[in-house]
Amino acid sequence: MSAVEVHQFAQCITCHAWSPDRTMIALCPNNTEVHIYKFTTDKWDRAHVLYKHDQIVSGIDWGLTSNKIVTASHDRNSYVWNQEGSEWMPTLVILRLNRAALCVQWSPKENKFAVGSGAKIVCICYYEPENNWWVSKLIRKRHDSSVTGVAWHPDNILLATTSTDGKCRVFSTFIKGVDTKDSGTSSSRDLKFGEQIVQLDLSSSWSFGVKWSPSGNILAYAGHNSTIYFVEDVCNSPFQQNVAYRNLPLRDVLFVSERMVIGAGFDCTPMVFTKDETGLWSFVKLLDGKKTAQPSLKYGSQFSEAFGKLYGQSKNDGVDPFKSRGGAHENTITCIAPLRREGDTIVRRFSTSGLDGKVLIWELDEKMEIPQ
Amino acid sequence: MSGASQEDEKRLDQAANINLKFKSQANTLRLYLTCIRHTLEAAMCLQNFPCQEVERHNKPEVELMTSPELLLNPGSLGALVEVLPCDLEVTGFIPGSSLLQKCRILICRNEAEKCFIETSINSIRVSMKVKQADELENILAKKFLRFLSMRAEAFQVLRRKPVQGYDISFLITNYHCEDMHKHKLIDFIVQFMEDIDKEISELKLSVNTRGRLVATEFLKQFI
Repeated sequence: MSAVEVHQFAQCITCHAWSPDRTMIALCPNNTEVHIYKFTTDKWDRAHVLYKHDQIVSGIDWGLTSNKIVTASHDRNSYVWNQEGSEWMPTLVILRLNRAALCVQWSPKENKFAVGSGAKIVCICYYEPENNWWVSKLIRKRHDSSVTGVAWHPDNILLATTSTDGKCRVFSTFIKGVDTKDSGTSSSRDLKFGEQIVQLDLSSSWSFGVKWSPSGNILAYAGHNSTIYFVEDVCNSPFQQNVAYRNLPLRDVLFVSERMVIGAGFDCTPMVFTKDETGLWSFVKLLDGKKTAQPSLKYGSQFSEAFGKLYGQSKNDGVDPFKSRGGAHENTITCIAPLRREGDTIVRRFSTSGLDGKVLIWELDEKMEIPQ
Repeated sequence: MSGASQEDEKRLDQAANINLKFKSQANTLRLYLTCIRHTLEAAMCLQNFPCQEVERHNKPEVELMTSPELLLNPGSLGALVEVLPCDLEVTGFIPGSSLLQKCRILICRNEAEKCFIETSINSIRVSMKVKQADELENILAKKFLRFLSMRAEAFQVLRRKPVQGYDISFLITNYHCEDMHKHKLIDFIVQFMEDIDKEISELKLSVNTRGRLVATEFLKQFI
């Protein structure tokens, strides 16, 4: 298990998303733009730059079937980008928010998308063909703080959210005219839009990076108190498991299969969690990438200058200034995305991006056993 | 001639004394700094976070303190507690306001030397009180740290004004963590704390030496 590809795309990356055929990557280099890189023969070339936002882009998602990109930004707006010929055409989505949008995700059927925001609101947006625009419906209640993550249940109706108030909630997003009565599971069919199904108050600190397992039976999210939470059978009788670990908190999690989860965050190294035969989740190991070159010197320049002026020579007492973290990322990992082949039940490849501006592609070894 | 050499000896003695003092304190100093380093490593998990109160703004929450839920509860630093050396006092500070009391860590070496760490989702504030044994050290520390605070932008992470009750404060935001390596930032702060005592002792020494020289020169005219 190792990082098979390392790409330095920018100084710092806030989020990234892959095109359906995985030959293109959309990423935000920590500013107002979204860059689309395309893989040509042997290297990544910047194919498009999408600039329409006027504050930092906080979320990108690329629809797998519709091939549409949705972006969310701190400027309170969202755009849906549609490829027409060689150009990407933006459509403004009026989210009706008065604070920053923090995260965005397409629903599994890609007829809706959800936006979490700093206004303590979740927006569910859907397309209205008569008017040719995206309409936003708000879930106003319940959240006591910013919504840091949204995740769609495979049934296209249920939506899980995490928030800085430490809670994880599940809502119904049934919209008349968009969702049909026979879609969704029996439990979610009769619910009205915006109804809260469950509220999980497990974390004593902020929660991030909520995800559903491929079947939709298990919900996983990370707390800022270095704990990851697994909740099974969420809608009927929730059964929770907390796994605390020694390392720094996680920012994002990914279900590789029904019984294996990868988490990444402030420790700069992805972590693996698995569920054993008895149904217990536990921390397995850290994923160490290949050792990369020594961290470049340019970062410390201003500091070392100040040091030099003040203290003459800075001395070294047992603390290695180039203390290598051993991992392939040199700064916080903020985003983890699957590279799924069609028909695959387990994700063998995934990518991580972080504040060091790198995108790493990881591949799980063939011989490594992935519990189904 | 002999007077001058005596002077030199005295100065050497003084310097040796101070060195000795440092050596005997080195161990507790090491513990103190290790404690601060581990606390900072656990606490400095910052991320970009837009303001919940003001539209289109992005402010350090540790300075605003408008949303209590965005300030980090020290109890959340789960991984950290076990590595703290046990002979140091680490407490959640309890000021008058109950709203703010949950977000602070106070690390004390003794009455005069302490380090105060406040954490929030996108920023961390580290304040320190420097040892001041007498009035001369007091004025030297005050002037020296003021000199640094005036040039805060050259240091990037230095706060222009120290938190009340402390001598110097650092304000680190998520933008600093994006630009710089986290372990280097922590090294910088720990190094700073380590060197500041030495710096002030050296200043004190040179002030004394200079005072003695000036007095000698001045009194020569009466011989």
